[in-house]
Amino acid sequence: MILGLDTGTRTLTDAEHLLHDLVKVLGLPAGTVACTHFVRTGDGPPHVACSLTVPDTLDPGALPEGSGVAFGHGRSGPADLAEGASLAAAAHASGTGGRLVLFPGHDELTGTLGVAEVVARSGIDRVVVLAHAGDPAPDTPVVTNDFVRPQWRDGEVVLLTMPAAGGRLTPAEVPNPTPCCADHG
Amino acid sequence: MGHGHPHGHSHDHSHPHDGHTLDQGDLAAVVDTSIPDGELSPGQVSRRQVFRRAGLLGAGLTAAGVLGTPAAASATTPQHTGGDREPRGGYLWLAGDHHIHTQHSSDGVYKVSDQVGHGAAYGLDWMVITDHGSNAHAKIGVEKVNPDIVAARRDHKDTLVFQGLEWNIPGAEHGTVFVAPGRNEVSTLKEFENSYDGSVKNAGASTPQNEALAIAGLNFLAESVRRRRVEAALFLANHPARKGLDSPHEIRGWRDAQPEIAVGMEGAPGHQAAGIPKPNGPGSGRGFYDSTPGADSWPGYPPESYKTFGGFDWMTSTVGGLWDSLLAEGKSWWITANSDAHSIYADTTARGGGDFNANGRYDDPTYGGTLNVNAGDFWPGFYSRTHVGARSFSYLAVMEAIRQGRVWVDHGGLISSLVVRARQSGTGQLGVSLGDTLHVRKGSKVEISIEITLAGKPNWAQVVPTLARVDVIQGDVTGPVKDKDVFTTPATKVVSSYEVGKNTGTVTFTYKVGAVDRPVYVRLRGTDGKRSAPGLLGAAVDPHGPAIDVFGDADPWNDLWFYSNPIWIVPRG
Repeated sequence: MILGLDTGTRTLTDAEHLLHDLVKVLGLPAGTVACTHFVRTGDGPPHVACSLTVPDTLDPGALPEGSGVAFGHGRSGPADLAEGASLAAAAHASGTGGRLVLFPGHDELTGTLGVAEVVARSGIDRVVVLAHAGDPAPDTPVVTNDFVRPQWRDGEVVLLTMPAAGGRLTPAEVPNPTPCCADHG
Repeated sequence: MGHGHPHGHSHDHSHPHDGHTLDQGDLAAVVDTSIPDGELSPGQVSRRQVFRRAGLLGAGLTAAGVLGTPAAASATTPQHTGGDREPRGGYLWLAGDHHIHTQHSSDGVYKVSDQVGHGAAYGLDWMVITDHGSNAHAKIGVEKVNPDIVAARRDHKDTLVFQGLEWNIPGAEHGTVFVAPGRNEVSTLKEFENSYDGSVKNAGASTPQNEALAIAGLNFLAESVRRRRVEAALFLANHPARKGLDSPHEIRGWRDAQPEIAVGMEGAPGHQAAGIPKPNGPGSGRGFYDSTPGADSWPGYPPESYKTFGGFDWMTSTVGGLWDSLLAEGKSWWITANSDAHSIYADTTARGGGDFNANGRYDDPTYGGTLNVNAGDFWPGFYSRTHVGARSFSYLAVMEAIRQGRVWVDHGGLISSLVVRARQSGTGQLGVSLGDTLHVRKGSKVEISIEITLAGKPNWAQVVPTLARVDVIQGDVTGPVKDKDVFTTPATKVVSSYEVGKNTGTVTFTYKVGAVDRPVYVRLRGTDGKRSAPGLLGAAVDPHGPAIDVFGDADPWNDLWFYSNPIWIVPRG
C-alpha cells in the first residue's frame, strides 16, 4: 500500500531526511519506493509532502505527531496536511507525479553508467534528455554524481538528464545546487 | 578611464574656417567638454566660447548635429559628451549593467570603486549597484554604500553610477530596483527595502499574500515618483527562470500594476563564467543555473526552464515562449544582460573580514594569493552589456531609454552597434526605433531597416567575434490573454535569416514586413553560429536557435548571441 505523509516541511532536504528516518523506524525493506511531492493546500505556504510504499499492516503510531496522514481510505491530522498527504499518495499510486528518493536499484546507481545500464540496474523505466527529442543512445554515459532522483511521468519512472562535458549526460537535478544568495566561490 | 578620445582632434590646424566647411574632428574637439580649454588652440577656445554663450555646449550640440544629418537634427538629438559615444540612429547608445554586488552583500567581495573602476575600464557608461536586500543591508548597508557611490560618481565623470538594491521580490525571485540620484535616493530605497523586501519581511514563500506585497512595493515606488520624492524608479526581474519562482501571472501582475516602473527582466543572467569546465572553472551550469523545482516553484514550468540556452534565460531564449507571449499581448516588457558580479572568475581578490551583520558590510577585500577559478562572474562590461539608446548622457535619459525599451543586449562584444528602424516602405521616413510602435494605415507596406556595425576589434578574450547570422523574429499581437499563466504564443517564429560571416565593417539589411493588416511585432537575434539547435517549440518556429548549455562545459566565448527588444507595427482603419 501507499502511505501519504505531510509534515508541512518547506524543503526537499527535510523531506528526504524524513523518508530515510521512516524507512529505518518502520523497518521497510530494500525496494521501497519513497517520493517527495510539491503540494499547495490550505492557507499555508507551498510545501513538500511524502509518499512511500509500506506493508498493509503499518502502525500509524510510528508516524510523526501532528502530521497529515493518508493511508488507504483513511485520513488523519490537520486538514491541510491530510490533504497534502492524500495528494501525494494519489500521485504516487497513479504514477502521475512525484520525485523518487528511494526506489529499486537506487543503491546501484553510482559513478558513471550507460543509459541502458541505468535502466537495467534500477526501477527507472526511461532516461530522457532535456531539450532533445528522442531517446539517448543506450551506451551514452550518465554521470550519476551518486545522486539520482527520477520522477513519475504517465505511469513511468523517468530520469531527466542534461548534456554534460565530453558528450555525456548527467541528471538534471544536481546534488548541491547554488543556494539563493550564494557565496559564489 | 575607459574612454579615450578617438576623434583624433588636432591642435595645430592652420587652414582657415569659413563656418561652412567644418571639419568634424576639429569641431568635435571644440564641443567635447571633457577636453579642457587649456588643451585647445586659441581659435578653438574662442569658438568654444561662442557655443558656450549660446548655451549649446553640452546641451545637445554634436558634430553630426551641426552637420545636419536628419537623425541628429531632429528634436531627439542626443547630447554628446565626448569619448567614443557616437550618436547612432539619433540616440546615444550607452552600454551598462544593472546588476552588480559589492562588499555590502553577504555574498559580495568588492568595493564600489573596484566594480565601477573595472566596469568603466571595460567600456560601460552606466552601472547600478545592487546589493542584496537583507536585514543588515536594510538597517546599515543601504546607507553605508551611498558615500562610496557618490565618490565613484566623482571619480568617474564619464560613468553614471546608480544606487539600487537587489530586491528579494516577495513570493518570487530577485529583481533590480533603482532610482534616479537625488536628495531622497537613500531614504526611498531604505523605506522600500524595510517595507517590501521578501527577506526582511520573511515573505519569500509563494503565497497570495506575498504576491500582493510585491505589488504593494511597486506601488510604493510609483507613488515615490508621483510625489517627486525621486525623479524616476525602475524594477527589472533578475535571473527570472532560474528557480521557477517568477510565475507568468506574477510577471504579468508586476508589469500591469506599474508599467512605468516594472519594465522588464534579465534576458541573460550574469555568472556567465560558471559553466567553464573544472579544474579551470566552476564547472557548474552557465549563469549558475543549476537548480530544479522547489516548493515555491511555479508547477507549470517545464524542466528545461531551469537551464540556459546560449547563455540566455529560457523565458527569453525560447522563440514563442514566455517573453513572446507577453509581447504578443502588446505588453511592453524588455530584456537586459548583466554581470551579477559577486566574485570574479580567476581573480586573486579575497573577501575582507569583519562582522557583516554588525557592520552592514565586509571589510575591504585583500589579496588572496591564488586564482579563484570557482568564481563564475565577469567584471561589469567584460562580457555582458545592455545597450540603451539615450537622448542624452544623463541618469534620467538612461532610465527613460530603459523604460521605453530602446535596448539591445550582447555577449562578448558580438557586435558594436545595432540601429533598427521600422518604417513605411518607400516614404523616406526615418521610422521608429526599438521599443517603439509604428502606426500605419491598414494595408500599408512596412519594412525594417537593420544596420549592424560588426565587432571590428577584439573583445576582452582577444577574439574579434564573427557575426554568423541574424534572425528576424515576428509575431502577431493578439491582445490580452484570459489565462494569466500562459507562457507560449502560437504565431511567433523566425521569419527571415541573414547570413553575415564577417567581423568588421557595417552590414545593412531590409526586412520587408509587407502589407500590414494586423498588429505585429518584430525583434532581432544574432549569433556567432558556434552552437545551435532547433528551438524548444520546434524547428518550424526556430530552426537554428540557441542550444541548451552543456552543464560543466560551457565556454562563454564560443557561444555568443545578441538580442534586440521589439518594435511593434500597428495598422489603423
